[in-house]
Formats: sequence, C-alpha cells, structure tokens
Amino acid sequence: MTGHQVVLTTTDGARLELCCPPGGTVLEAAAEAGAALPASCKQGTCGSCHATVTSGEYDLGPHSALALPPDELPHGGVLLCRTVPCGPLTAELPYPQSRILYGGVPERAAEVESITTVARDTVRLVVTLTDSPDCQFDAGQFVELELPGTGARRAYSLANTGNWEGRMEFYIRLRPDGAFSGPLAERVRPGDPLTVHGPQGAFGLHETGLRPRWLLAGGTGLAPLLAMARQMAEWQDPQPARLFLGANTPADLFGDPELKAVAAELPSFQYEFTVREADPGWTGPVGTPADLLARALSAHTGPAPDLYVCGPPPMVDAVRRAAPDCQVFHERFLAT
Amino acid sequence: MFCYQCEQTDRTGTVPGCAGAIGNCGKDAATSDLQDLLIHAAKGVAQYAAEARALGAADDEADRFLLYSVFTTLTNVNFNPSRFGAMIQQAVAHRDRARAAYEQAARAAGREPRELTGPAAWQPAADPDALLKQAADVRVDAGLALVGPDVVGLRSLHLYALKGICAYAHHAHVLGKESAEVFAGVEDALAYLAGEPTDAAELLERAVGLGRLNLTVMELLDAANTGAYGPQQPTAVRTTSVEGKAILVSGHDLHDLEQLLEQTAGQGINVYTHGEMLPAHAYPLLKAHPHLVGNYGGAWQDQQREFAAFPGPILMTSNCIIEPHVSYRRRIFTTGPVGWPGVRHLSEGDFTPVLQAARALPGFPAEPEPAPEKLLTVGFGADAVLAVADRVTAAVRSGAIRHFFLVGGCDGPTPGRDYYTEFAVGAPADTMVLTLGCAKYRFNGHDFGEIGGIPRLLDLGQCNDTHSAIRIAVALAEAFECEVNDLPLTLVLSWTEQKAVAVLLALLALGIRNIHLGPTLPGFLTPDLVDALVQRFDLRVIGDPAADLAAALEPAGQ
Repeated sequence: MTGHQVVLTTTDGARLELCCPPGGTVLEAAAEAGAALPASCKQGTCGSCHATVTSGEYDLGPHSALALPPDELPHGGVLLCRTVPCGPLTAELPYPQSRILYGGVPERAAEVESITTVARDTVRLVVTLTDSPDCQFDAGQFVELELPGTGARRAYSLANTGNWEGRMEFYIRLRPDGAFSGPLAERVRPGDPLTVHGPQGAFGLHETGLRPRWLLAGGTGLAPLLAMARQMAEWQDPQPARLFLGANTPADLFGDPELKAVAAELPSFQYEFTVREADPGWTGPVGTPADLLARALSAHTGPAPDLYVCGPPPMVDAVRRAAPDCQVFHERFLAT
Repeated sequence: MFCYQCEQTDRTGTVPGCAGAIGNCGKDAATSDLQDLLIHAAKGVAQYAAEARALGAADDEADRFLLYSVFTTLTNVNFNPSRFGAMIQQAVAHRDRARAAYEQAARAAGREPRELTGPAAWQPAADPDALLKQAADVRVDAGLALVGPDVVGLRSLHLYALKGICAYAHHAHVLGKESAEVFAGVEDALAYLAGEPTDAAELLERAVGLGRLNLTVMELLDAANTGAYGPQQPTAVRTTSVEGKAILVSGHDLHDLEQLLEQTAGQGINVYTHGEMLPAHAYPLLKAHPHLVGNYGGAWQDQQREFAAFPGPILMTSNCIIEPHVSYRRRIFTTGPVGWPGVRHLSEGDFTPVLQAARALPGFPAEPEPAPEKLLTVGFGADAVLAVADRVTAAVRSGAIRHFFLVGGCDGPTPGRDYYTEFAVGAPADTMVLTLGCAKYRFNGHDFGEIGGIPRLLDLGQCNDTHSAIRIAVALAEAFECEVNDLPLTLVLSWTEQKAVAVLLALLALGIRNIHLGPTLPGFLTPDLVDALVQRFDLRVIGDPAADLAAALEPAGQ
C-alpha cells in the first residue's frame, strides 16, 4: 500500500519512521506500526497527543480549541489524532522515546483496595494490581480504568510513584453521570475487579531540567503533580520545588496530609492552597493558581522556574498568560 | 562542551576531543559543562582549605566533599546535570566555610588574611543559562591560545590523575580510612591548578608527585578493603545462574555490596556480582554470605545487553554506568556518586526498593537440564600470592617460571582491545599472567593451566587493588635482590578512564619503565608530551601482540 512518509523525533533524538496511508491520521499509522503514542481521547478534545510539525503539508481535522489553542497553529502545533498528512511530513514529539508503547497499551488485572472521600465529591481510589506487583510508570502518566462489563474506560492520572507493590493511587471527582465515576460512587466496593490500561501519556518531569520546578494544579489535577512531588522527594531531586493548588471552595480542597509528607522529605518544597470562593472559616488566599503564580513570580528573585500545570484548559491558558517567560509543561483535563 | 578525558574520546577531528552535543561516553553538553564548572568550584574550595590547613584549621568535611564531587566527574559515573548544578552550590558553601576558617585562623595567628583570587573568588550565576555560559572560561582547554597545547595537556594530565586519586580515596573513605596527607595532597593539587600553572617542567615533576600521592591512596584503599573484609583468599566463583530471585550489583563499592548483602540476608534473594565487583567473592567477610552466589556477565561495555537479559534489579555502585536501555531503565538503581537522569537514586544505603523489585521480578527459572557449572578463580591479592612467595621464587630460580606479565586495567568498547586477549593467551606456558581491573574479562575464561601447582593466571582484584600488584613486585625484587625494573616482569596496561591515569602515574613515580600502554595513548597527551614520557620512562604504546611478547621475552641486552 502506498502512503506518505512520516518521521517523528522524540526529545531524546529517537526517530520513528512511518508510512501513513492516504486519509489516515499519524496516530493511527503509528499504532498500525506497533507504536502506541501518548494519546487519550483520540477525538481532538484532550490535547494529550500534541506535537509540532516541522515540515510537510497536512490537514488538521476537527478539534477543541481548548485542546489545541489557535495561537499554536501557525507554529506547527497539531494533535496527532487529527493530523492527516498530504505528503511527506516530519514532526517533533514533546516526550522521550520511553513514553512510546511498542506493542500496544498494556492491559493489567487489578482490584479496588480502598475508596476514601477526601473532599466534596472527590475520592481517593487505591487499586492493587493482581497479575504482578511490577507497577512501573513515570510521575505524570495516566492509566485508563475500566469496570468489567461496562465497557466504559476513563483516563485518570496516577498520584503515587512507580513501585513494586502493585499499588496505584488516584483522585477522582465524582460526577453522577460519569461513565466511571458514577458507578464508582454507587456500587464499587473494595475487592471489586478492575482492568487497568496503561500507563500512558507524555506528561512528566523534564528530567535534565536545572530550573526550579513549580507545580500548578486545579482540583483533581493535583494527582499527577502530587506524583511528581513525591518522586522528587523519593529521589531527592535537587531542584527547588513549589506547588500551588486551587479549588472552587475550601470544601473542595484535599491533599494537605500528602503534601505535608512530601515537605517533610524534601526540605526545599513549599505548597499553597487557594480557592475561588472563600467561606467564613477560610484564611488563605482567594483566587486561582494563576493568581498565586503571578504573585509568587513578582516576589521571586531566582532563576525562572519551569512550570508543570494540570487542570482544566482555561486554567492552563491562564498560567501561560501569567508566566510568558517560563517553560510550561501541561496536561489539560476535561470533565468525563 | 570539550572533553578528552577518556580513551573513547572523538579522534575524528584534527584535535582529539568530544565537542558536539553528546560525547562518545553519552555525556551531554550541559552535563560536561557543569562538570567543568564543578571542578572550577572545587579548586576554589581547595584554595581556601589549603590555606586553612596550613594554619592548623583543616576542614575534613570540605575534603570529603572534594573527593566525592571530583569522583562524580569521572567517565561513566554521573550523567545527571541537576546533580552537578546542586554540587556547584554545595561547593560554594564549602568554600565559604573554609574561607571563614582560614580568616579566623589567620587573625588568631596575628596575620591579616589574604583575599584569594581565581576559582576562590568565583561566583556561579544563579540562572542556569548564564551558568552554562560561564563554562567556556573554565573548561579544560581554557587558555589554549595563550599557553599552548603542551601546557594544556599537562594540566589535563594533572586533573585527570587527580580525578582517579579522588575516586580511590573516596572508596577508602566509605570504609573508614582517611588520611590528612591525602586530604592535603588533593587540596594542594587542586590549588596548584587554580593558579593556572605554565611551567611545563614543573608540571611534569608535579605529575610524578601526584603518582606518589596515589601510591599512598592505593595503600590506604588496600588497608580499607582488607581491614573491613579480610585479605582476599583464592576463591572459585560460579558464573552460571542459580534458580531464584536475583539482584545484580555492579561497580566497585564493596561497602554498598556489604549493605545489600545484609539487607537481603534470609530473604530468599540471590546476589550476583557484575564487572569490577567480581573480586568481592574473594573477601572472607563478603563471601561468608551464602546468597552471594556468583558472577554474571562481563566488563562494563556489555552492560546494555547483559542487564536487559538479567531477570531482576541492578544496583550500580560506582563507575561504570552507560545509558540504561528502556528495557531495564525502571529496574536499575544508582547509589553513591553514580547518576543517570530518570533512574532512581538511592542515597542513604537503604536498598528496600531494590529488594521489592527483586521480589516482583521473575528471577532465574529452574533449568530442566542445568548447564554445567562454570567457575572463575579470583582472590590472588598480595597476601595470597606472598603466602606462596617461596614456591614462586624457587620456580623462577629453577627456570619453571621464565617471566611475569601483568596484563590489566580497564576494558572498553573501542577497537584494538583484542590485543590483550592475544597477548595473555599467547604468553608461553612457562610464564605467569597477573591481572587486575576489568580488562581480565578479555581472557579470564581461558584455561591457563598451572606451574608447579600455582595457577598461571592470578587475578589480583579490581583496579582498586593496584597496591597488591605493587606489593608483589616489590617483594619479588627484594627476594631477588634487584630493582623492580630488573625483574623478569612486563606491564601491559589497558586504559579507559581517569583511575587508570592515576595508576599510570603511580607506576611511573615508582620508577617502573617499559610500561606498554594501549589501546591508544591519551588524547590529551600531545606528541611533545608523549616524547617526553617515552624518553624519561620508556613508556610505549602496544603494537603487535606476538612481536611485543617476543620482545619482552628477549634476554636483557639483546
């Protein structure tokens, strides 16, 4: 079969050469070649298959402006699940080769260990792999969770770090009509089986970065950033680190004991909470994580930090506007 | 970046050296530049520490930092730029403390303290981009246009020997052996380099002086190893696998191995040595652990293939790590001075994650028809060899032993190293082959036989055990009432990195001549410097193994 030659290059210089059939997307061609690239929704709405085209013509199919902001289009910004080459194409992938799953996305058997309410409509779900305790992933990655028999798979970021005890930890916002979180709230109990697809995803710490690392989370966007902070503590990474977490109200906040534990292990680590709507008992700042960031940057005298952001698309965009001089690594999430 | 510290250095240009985005060892430009800056900062620490020491205010903590931080810049030790960024800041803190101690001691002695210049006054830029730009002024060939390639080469010889010395001294330190003489020597050498010396004759003399310092360090390390674990004993080491969960330990650090053996005791996990850890099996207090079951794989350059096939976690304790392949990146752990970005580092001697990984990974399966057990014999340190010195000297006098060859050093991936296999295997049956370092993997699977019940191949240990080789040579010379150079002994060395540079200078400092060095001569030695070393020490580069063997066996005077 004839097709268009596509060459993808990872941040660590690995080249992936593909033949993309006419009318097909780059993401499909990579999967056909046995390489599952980081991607989640595969319908142009989540942004997790973001890449930058460096040469070649292509058609970009329908997608959400929240997943791929219009200002990125002139610079070759694309979503590979919506990119249909019209001829030879080269593109840069924003992650190392290790994030590409050769042979497809792993499928693992697991069971629910615990479900704990940590804030209004928010639970911590702990899952244990039952097929093997080998539970390796990079901080920032996600898996898709599937309840057997429902066919519904939903992506959630891992909040803990890779381990050899088969343990996975998630923070999940419960939505009555959520395909996964609905049943989770209603009927799932400890000991129930789950299927785990992954780990997947390109979001992660820039391992060779020399700059301070500032982590900005909105709501359950804390999960991958908590994983990063925990990894930094476990590995004793030397970069100074701060975390800013925003929620709608104080009742929606969570994660204080976990972040306190990180601070005890990582002396340079500081964290702050903010809410959009205070209640009478709230004494902390009112606003968004981007507001906290703007304030912190104005008082900051050291080198410009690298920003790691996870939250709803408007929050990610607000952070980018607040810190135009900083390198921003982000994961946008949308309600599912 | 510009780096030519190891044997792998790029020799495709007019001047040897790696100067692209990534060096031939896998070190990226930012890491290389930060290593240069760390060395610059270390010189500043040494300048004030030396002044403070001269006034009786020695700062041993600063010296321990110097040993560790300089060790991290050796080839194949640490590739993580963020660790170097942090160590540069730590160096500044050590320097400022040493400076305060010096100034206080000077005032207490009734003197006005001097303000030192050069690295002692250097301030690293806070911004990482600006910091990396500072590297251009301090890299190893800085000042080339002003002082010429010979002086730059001699300064490099100094620095690289010093790196090896610091590595060996750090190994001794972790086993509790330190020496004020060594601390002072390291400070003095770094402070000397801080002054940007230009006198070539003086640089060469001081290089020989560094060789003498390394003799002291190697003696200290020998005492540390044998003091902690007992003198090496001849020991047969299994090289085939044993059914069960498994951990592989590579590098040189016996203390890390000991801690791991203690933490895995009774856990149903077998521990295997890799590369330069092989001689650990010969130490009584290490081999007493029954779960130290054998040796796996060969020299460091084959680790990507070997580690990928190992069915358990890998612990890398010192040099020589190379880029971990994706297939095992999440089950390799680093400790001590070692580092790789994205690889889990265990800094506190707690190897719990390694044990967890071993339990979760499959380990070696039961073999329906186990392969015949293969053994290597190690443990011929100086104590073991000197215990049979009478038999050895009698065999020499009777003519049963005609000649000794010491064939050792580092192995490596560059072409030309088959020489060492052909040389060792081709040595006649009435000659002994002594070896140490990982170059032995080129020939230690060969059956060399025996002479009068003494194995013809004697494995003296790691490169860290050079002092054993020196003790044996000196003892033989005493037995025959001659100089070491008059013994029927030829040294055939293989080098890769800076520990070998330190060992070479130690041997030259002892006055040993006619050393055969290969597979190539260091890229930092200019033709003029090679001529000087050849003239003074009869240093020679390896050639054809059969011809070199024949020449070595010619009776003196022919």
